Amino acid sequence: MARNTAIKVSNLTHTVTSNTGNLTILKGINMEIKESESVAIVGSSGSGKSTLLGLLAGLDVNTSGDIFLYDQEFSSPSEEQRALVRGQYVGFVFQSFHLLPSLQAIENVMLPAELKGDKDARKKAEALLEKVGLSHRLTHYPNQLSGGEQQRVAIARAFASNPKILFADEPTGNLDEENGKLIIKLLFDLNQSQGTTLVMVTHDNELAKMCDRQLVMSAGQLTEKSL
Amino acid sequence: MSFAFRLMFRDIRSGDLLTLLLALVISVSTVTSIGLFIDRLQLSFEQESANLLAADRLIRSDDIIPAEWEAQANELSLQTAQRTSFTTMMFAGDSLQLSQLSAVSDGYPLKGAYLVDDVLFGAGQRSTETPKQGEVWVSSRLASLLKISLGDQVEVGDAKLKVTKYLVRDPGSSTSAFAISPRAVMNMADLAATNVIIPGSRVRYSLLLAGDRASLDEYENWITPQLNEDQRWQTPTQRGERIGDTIGRAESFLLLAGTLAVVMSGVAMALASARFVKRHLMQVAILKTLGATPKLLGKLFFLQLFALFIVGAMIGLGIGWGMQEIIASLLSGLMSTTLPEPSISRLWLGAATGMISMVVFCLPLMSHLIKISPLSVLQPNTKIELNSFAIYAIGFIGMFGLMCLYTNGFLLPSIMTAAILGIALFVAAIGWLAFKLGRSLTSGATSGWQIGLASLYRRLIPNLFQLLVFTLIIMLTLILIGVKSSLIADWQQQLPEDAPNHYLFNVQDEQIEQINDQTTQLGLKKSDWYPMVRGRVTAVNDETVQSLYPEEKGEPELYERELNLTWSDTLGKGNELVEGDFTAEGLSIEQRVAKEANLDIGDKLTINIGGNIVTLPITSVRTVDWGSMQPNFYLILPKSALEDYPANFVSSLFVDDAQAQSFYRAMATFPTVSILNVGDILKQIQTIIGQLSQAIQLVLFCILSAGALVLLASVRSTLEERLEEGALLRVLGARGALVRQALLVEFGALGFFAGLIATIGAETCLLGLQVFVFNAEASFHPLLWLLGPAIGVVVISTIGIFASRTVLKVPPMLLLRGL
Ligand SMILES: Nc1ncnc2c1ncn2[C@@H]1O[C@H](COP(=O)(O)OP(=O)(O)OP(=O)(O)O)[C@@H](O)[C@H]1O
Ligand SMILES: [Mg+2]
Repeated sequence: MARNTAIKVSNLTHTVTSNTGNLTILKGINMEIKESESVAIVGSSGSGKSTLLGLLAGLDVNTSGDIFLYDQEFSSPSEEQRALVRGQYVGFVFQSFHLLPSLQAIENVMLPAELKGDKDARKKAEALLEKVGLSHRLTHYPNQLSGGEQQRVAIARAFASNPKILFADEPTGNLDEENGKLIIKLLFDLNQSQGTTLVMVTHDNELAKMCDRQLVMSAGQLTEKSL
Repeated sequence: MSFAFRLMFRDIRSGDLLTLLLALVISVSTVTSIGLFIDRLQLSFEQESANLLAADRLIRSDDIIPAEWEAQANELSLQTAQRTSFTTMMFAGDSLQLSQLSAVSDGYPLKGAYLVDDVLFGAGQRSTETPKQGEVWVSSRLASLLKISLGDQVEVGDAKLKVTKYLVRDPGSSTSAFAISPRAVMNMADLAATNVIIPGSRVRYSLLLAGDRASLDEYENWITPQLNEDQRWQTPTQRGERIGDTIGRAESFLLLAGTLAVVMSGVAMALASARFVKRHLMQVAILKTLGATPKLLGKLFFLQLFALFIVGAMIGLGIGWGMQEIIASLLSGLMSTTLPEPSISRLWLGAATGMISMVVFCLPLMSHLIKISPLSVLQPNTKIELNSFAIYAIGFIGMFGLMCLYTNGFLLPSIMTAAILGIALFVAAIGWLAFKLGRSLTSGATSGWQIGLASLYRRLIPNLFQLLVFTLIIMLTLILIGVKSSLIADWQQQLPEDAPNHYLFNVQDEQIEQINDQTTQLGLKKSDWYPMVRGRVTAVNDETVQSLYPEEKGEPELYERELNLTWSDTLGKGNELVEGDFTAEGLSIEQRVAKEANLDIGDKLTINIGGNIVTLPITSVRTVDWGSMQPNFYLILPKSALEDYPANFVSSLFVDDAQAQSFYRAMATFPTVSILNVGDILKQIQTIIGQLSQAIQLVLFCILSAGALVLLASVRSTLEERLEEGALLRVLGARGALVRQALLVEFGALGFFAGLIATIGAETCLLGLQVFVFNAEASFHPLLWLLGPAIGVVVISTIGIFASRTVLKVPPMLLLRGL
């Protein structure tokens, strides 16, 4: 089956200026990810995994090279433009959950739909929270939830905008094994049922093996791990 | 954009918006209440002074006032009345007496009231009426001189008038104090029939005006270009210079207080905004990862801020209004008159303050917030620094602008801004050194002392900032306390209870002894007799005054009018030599007039004394305590220069109400002696001073409360970190007492340094304020040096412990979860 290309990256480099001088974190990355594929990015700490993920999601602007999401140039310098694309195509799950502390679980999940002006935000959010098994905790605040529960809310939020691509940065990093497994199951279920492309940074070998492909980040270079 | 408000309502629960709202409310309400209160006081002073003028405004002229002037005033719906005053001979039987007569139109006085009585030398009752046609009111003194009583007839020119009342006080009489001279009032309608006013008579015509300020201002603009040099536009504040002085200083104080309130609320606003931004950075980053565009976020926060402003301004204005009502009602028992209602139009000041402080303290920070990179969600430990120079610069300029707007001038804001900048530098230097030193004394964490000091050092930058805020607030407090106490002490000293309230003029050499006998019999305390002649300065260093001021404009007071001159070999009571030699053969000049006329020792003045020309150099400069109410003189000549001139004598004395009648009766036997009663004015000044002192205490209290709230907000702004740290310490097994001790040491040290630096700053500021704003002498305030550090330690530790009491109570588990 000839699947569409979800993400295409060519000659991507990224250099940051710090107080000790220029530091090139990514040194010429090339890769292609197909629609509804699941990809794990592994590699040692500090190798540049999060940086790459951030660039792919348009959270920052790369120094040189090109990023295409669904054939759309995505290294546009306009934050405005990138935010719009992000709202349309991209979902995000973080290692440290990043729920808004002042909002209830349900309100956190409603946010993406509300940002798009969706009137049915609440209904959709309820359904999503139901899916992640938290229909009884709708009005709880993040600090009243356990880490695993918070991450489930975060996943519900990530899927709330029906993203075509879901980025996850060590989604199980702060969780115990059991909760981690639950999260992974949720991610893959949703990946399968909605055909979402999944790009995940992880240190967990088990999790990496569950993905269709594994990419290894090492000193700013990305290589395919042969299975 | 309902999403913005939904998000906002959800945000309210977190308390951050409420903190911001609170800061806004504090800022709007303090500025509003002080602004309104100043306005009311000003209106009240103006009214009290208007009583002295008998009108809100007055045109004085040596010629008949054109009818169209009055018509124009009526067109602007101003009330009008006329008075014509002149000196004329009055007859009754075979007695005759030169008298001060004024003819007034119905409706006079527009402000204040006549005091009249049916009893000779009675104390008088208020009367808002004027004498009817065919009637005349005469002063008791005139009645005794003419040997007439109520019901008798007096002749004024060709008219015969019936005496119906004894006149006790004549509002708006030509001297600012009421002269107990032979004087009478008649109705304007009888004036023509008297035929006493003929071309060439010295007559003073007055047109009195009363009405709302806007119309009066409009009228002033219309009339000013039409006035000739014999015509004057008079306002209440021009009269009674001493009241003006007192009020002026009180206004300066209240303005100062208001300015400090502006600074404090600026600080509160900045703190609250910084806290809001800090707590929302991650939220904004997350919203961005969820696809919120910067434009959307901008709109979102702008709408939120705008809504916040509307709500905050309304609440603030409401509270401000209520607060000044409370101040006014607390004072009402002490006031002789009720305060006039404040002008609603003054509310804009509070609203503008709120708006500007939001724009300068909130918006720049908010724009920072919107610019945060969404990437920070991936690097959870990145610290976002808000220390941008531009933000501080905008805040500073905004605060300066606000103060200028508030005080309508640059002087006070410049002094304050310089002080704040100076303090900031000082705090940076001292604080850094002190903490550095503290660090070397503290290693290990075994005692509360060490933990406390170590944590001071660890959060060096936030602590320095907090130190700055503490210092500023304490400094502002100390400045206010310092100014308040010196102001009130100054006033009280200015007017002792038994300050002389009567002057005796025109006393001849041979009358002195008789009068002395009379006053000793009555047991009245009298000042020495001063010889007095009248003279006019005609030339300065051989240049005539006319050639120096050809336009007769901007003339110093010294050249403007005929002066009372005296001669003496010894410096009188209440006089103090500043420069030169008083006994030298030359003029001794009062310091303020000398400054105004730009004169110094060595300058030569030519004085015309009744046709005799005297030219003398200035050989000494004196200060004069005008409050002493002793006879005082701008120029004192050497004895030799005036010895041969025919002089009369002047003295002052205190007569209490009980003795007034017998004193006036006794003086009735000296018809040529003029008595000037300044008691009314003195009483008025004393009342005003009483009111002002109370008002100032209350305003001070309000500002201090606002200051305490700012301190609390400032402590709260670092609470999260402290809570986290306290919880961690307790998780690690520290006892509650240890944590409390650590907090005490930290806040105590912060408070002590803040208090100390604040004292230095306050003392410097007071110096500047005393010299430039209050025109007083610089003085040292030992009390502040005690008060400053004490306030610092006690108040800051109390507030600190109070604000962080949760650190000690809440189970550590809960705290760690929430963070
Ligand atoms: N803005 C920046 N300024 C300076 N250095 C940066 C910046 N962003 C990233 N780095 C550095 O680039 C390197 C890669 O960072 P990155 O967060 O991508 O690593 P990572 O592979 O995700 O590591 P980990 O597995 O520990 O999360 C690190 O050494 C980091 O310190
Ligand atoms: Mg990472």
